[in-house]
Amino acid sequence: MKRYRRVWVVYRKELVETLRDRRTLIAMVVVPIVLYPVLMVILLEALKTETSRRQAEHYTIAVPDEAHRQWLADVFKRRDDERLARQAAYAQATEAAGEDVDDVEAGFIAHLHADQVTIVVERTRSLWEAVTDQTYHAGILVQPPPDPASPADPINRIIQVIYRDIDPRSEFVYQQLNRVLYDESERIHAVRMTALAEQVYGAGPHDALLQPLRIGGLSTASPEKQFAKIIAMVVPFLLVTMTVTGAMYPAIDLTAGERERGTLETLAVSPVPTGQIVAGKFGVIVTIAMISTMLNLGSMTAMVHVSGLDKLASQTQPSRQAESFLVEQMIAESAADRSSSGTGVSPVDSSGGTGVSPVDSIYDARFSQYDYLQQRQRLEEQAEQKIGFLTTAAPVVLMAMIPFAVLFGGVMLAACSFARTFKEAQNYMMPVMMAAIIPAMIVSYMPTVRLEGILLVMPVANIVVLMRELFLGQYDVSGMGIVLLSTCLYAAAAVTVAAKLYGHEAVLFSDVGSYKTLLRRRFFRPRAFPPVAFALLTVAVLFPVYFYAQSGLISFDSSGARNLTMVALTQVMIFAAPVVVLAWYLKLDLRRTFSIRLPRLWHCFATLLLMAAIAPVSNLLQQIQFAVFPPSEALRDLVMQQALLFGDQPWWAILLVFAAVPAVCEEVLFRGFLTAGLREKMSGLKVAIVVGVIFAVFHISVERILLFTLMGMVLTFVCLRTGSIFPAMLIHVANNGLLLAVQESGWLQGFYGLSGSLDDLGTIPWNVRAAIFVVVFVVGIAMLATRGGDIKEQAGMALPPT
Amino acid sequence: MIEVHELVKVFPTTEGGENRAVDDVSFNVAAGEIFGLLGPNGAGKTTALRMVSGLLTPTSGWVRLNGHDVRVDRETAKRSLGYLTANTGLYQRLSPREVLRYFGLLIGMERTAVDRRIEVLIEWLDMSSFANLRCGGLSTGQKQRTNIARALMGDPPILIMDEPTLGLDVLTNRVVLDFIRAEGTRGKAIILSTHYLDEAETLCDRFGLLHEGALRALGSLAELREQSDRQRLSEIFLHLCGLQEHVLDHGLENGGRGASDAEDCGARSGGSSSDGGVS
Repeated sequence: MKRYRRVWVVYRKELVETLRDRRTLIAMVVVPIVLYPVLMVILLEALKTETSRRQAEHYTIAVPDEAHRQWLADVFKRRDDERLARQAAYAQATEAAGEDVDDVEAGFIAHLHADQVTIVVERTRSLWEAVTDQTYHAGILVQPPPDPASPADPINRIIQVIYRDIDPRSEFVYQQLNRVLYDESERIHAVRMTALAEQVYGAGPHDALLQPLRIGGLSTASPEKQFAKIIAMVVPFLLVTMTVTGAMYPAIDLTAGERERGTLETLAVSPVPTGQIVAGKFGVIVTIAMISTMLNLGSMTAMVHVSGLDKLASQTQPSRQAESFLVEQMIAESAADRSSSGTGVSPVDSSGGTGVSPVDSIYDARFSQYDYLQQRQRLEEQAEQKIGFLTTAAPVVLMAMIPFAVLFGGVMLAACSFARTFKEAQNYMMPVMMAAIIPAMIVSYMPTVRLEGILLVMPVANIVVLMRELFLGQYDVSGMGIVLLSTCLYAAAAVTVAAKLYGHEAVLFSDVGSYKTLLRRRFFRPRAFPPVAFALLTVAVLFPVYFYAQSGLISFDSSGARNLTMVALTQVMIFAAPVVVLAWYLKLDLRRTFSIRLPRLWHCFATLLLMAAIAPVSNLLQQIQFAVFPPSEALRDLVMQQALLFGDQPWWAILLVFAAVPAVCEEVLFRGFLTAGLREKMSGLKVAIVVGVIFAVFHISVERILLFTLMGMVLTFVCLRTGSIFPAMLIHVANNGLLLAVQESGWLQGFYGLSGSLDDLGTIPWNVRAAIFVVVFVVGIAMLATRGGDIKEQAGMALPPT
Repeated sequence: MIEVHELVKVFPTTEGGENRAVDDVSFNVAAGEIFGLLGPNGAGKTTALRMVSGLLTPTSGWVRLNGHDVRVDRETAKRSLGYLTANTGLYQRLSPREVLRYFGLLIGMERTAVDRRIEVLIEWLDMSSFANLRCGGLSTGQKQRTNIARALMGDPPILIMDEPTLGLDVLTNRVVLDFIRAEGTRGKAIILSTHYLDEAETLCDRFGLLHEGALRALGSLAELREQSDRQRLSEIFLHLCGLQEHVLDHGLENGGRGASDAEDCGARSGGSSSDGGVS
């Protein structure tokens, strides 16, 4: 308890001091609360002004003669009239429905209106010249020349629009002219078709004939969700940036700042372990980062709320209302068509009466579309009742930010611990900031990226994508689990490295020694076990490497033999080789680090019992787990794929690659290096739990995480009690090997009462045979628990390394 | 109280070689004794004291404080230690009172005990006028008084002081020296490292002369006088370090404060002193 009290003392003091620091306050409070809304307001205003400016602006278009001028003016006028008529109809419809009439033109899309355009007849110069020397925004030349008197004559024309590509206004006019002229073309098209139809079918409205397809988009997403899509792209990036910025100053100040002001020496001489000091400081950095996140999120929410952005989103957008209106209109029209024609094949007789009820014939279509409208209305009403989207999503996002803050708190602390002065620390912070911001930025530009595959374990990027998925409400729990666990692993490694560096004398006193002592082998003192920081850092680095290797090296295109070799190589090169080399480099006692000693006879008996019983027991655990959490299709597929990939290989190769090699290599890493690193600082139980969890994380299977944790704990326990790595290796081999062999050998199936079939996943084998194996297993464990002991207490192992 | 045994510290140099900053230094300090660790700049005083207080790990040798090995029993050993240097900083944004409270709680004192102790120290060191101001705005003297109070928070039986009077004005200098004397008479084991030799001469009971990492002489003033056949500490120092002629050449012997003299000759003497090993 006293330990934690000291951490608390450090935490409280650092927090008080940090909150009195102007720089921290500026980054943490002023930026989100003052600067941020101001920037947002300026941005919004700029957008609005730009739009309204464009709309208010006057444009000149040059034409070669009066006929051109008249024709173009008519085109603009017709288009304006049409739009006004459409708006009036819409307004009438909404008013009839008892709703408020919105301005359909609201929003940020600019349209070129007739009154904005001055059409000038240019007679003296060529249009090309006149547009080039910026007298006009654009020029129009029609060939053959238009006839304003008959706007739909049967002559086909070519229209050339002359504009300046580099002038945004000129380009705007060009784009608008493009639209306007396209509409005109459509209009002429319609006139001609109507004329044709009248020739063929006689007089009458032929609108239905002319519009074989009318398209109305029906989005099932609530307006809230659509707003969320935008938010989900922008906010994670902003939050990541702001959180890192907020945490930066305290991280520097609490480490390099303390060193620079000469208080570190005093602190180091006080009777408190470095770990506790670092823990307190780390707590403050995470706290400040989270306060920063909260303030930013709060400020954003308030901003969006005040500026009415969320209102805009939670109400129907005008264009969307128009869309709904269009859909309703279409339904009505098609109902009218169908009711009159009966068969609906030809619109020829549509001028006829309205005798038959339309309801039955178009019931289906009508149902779905009315359903849509009702659904939409309901969603809109719901959205209006809520205070705003960000407010409801904020707590979830805050939760997702915690592991991020923890990770970057750790990384920053580690980077700053390395620095001797404030300035030096600021330099180190640059790459750290980049490491946070760039992945976040890249991912926010890739809205289709889902949280899967390598991304799950990619630091920062996984958190950003997770946040986005949380916003959109489409995350899955197993992915979330992997993200959180891997982030915690990285964070733990970062914090331990920070603690290690913080107390190191080369870092503590800038006037003595150099960083070489941290890295050069000849300055290392021989030790028995790896330092905790090294052990954790090693697994943290190996984890993504292993993940990439696993997904990158095995391919379905290459042969099974090649894949087998790759699996084996991955195991050796990633699990075993690095830690053995590292152990040599750190001048560790290899025999003690990797627990290379023969177990006692009594322990050998226990090991044999465990070897015999491990396969059915782990199978039982797996079945229990699958009964509670049924295995996903993905997992079944994976097992099937593995069977397909390696099915044609000889049995001994399969056993070697999937039983023997992993058992040896994984034990070397987890029960050797990692356990050795942890057991100096932790009790046996804690070591078993930590190693178990990390062991499970490495197996990248959220569905079986509990199972792997338990197995990892058992193996760690075996290793700690026997003081030897060999029993754990043997039990590991036995488990993997027997579970593989059961699928091949009928005799083994009978002996263990297991089936090799995938279909039996999740059926718990409750029977006497299973019970016997459980008992054997428990006896084995008990034998280990009663005799022998933690390695530390055994002769020759008691003294700390010198 | 303080036992220092065959202490060695080797630093790597930038050229890839080795620098024996402290070379086989041994001495003991009993309770109630003020031990002066003297030597020019770069002699290894600070490195030695950092090893004694557990800030640096010795390459070989060991230190016991109050019976506890500093490396094995780090926290317990440090608990009996008060540490003070001239360039020890204070937390700029905390007040002296808050600094004292922080360190009091860190060494594991109870809250009420901490408060009582703070009042005692504030009164004793006459700190009440600035006890609640931020440390960033204090004068050098006020800061050093706060530092003394901090070192005394847990009333440790051992005090290690590395150049505690460096850069102080006459008044504060007086305060620091009085405090050291008083603590000595209260039965504490004190190591005082300084290159103000006249200060050391009046304060210390025994001396260790450190030069180029090695202890060249060890003993009381009387013993040193006998060994060197010199009267003043600065003369003894120069003689025992084998620097005499060199310094006389430069006519520096009659300076009031031996500090800068020793410093200069230490810096200039280079490798010429291998002949004068005494300890």
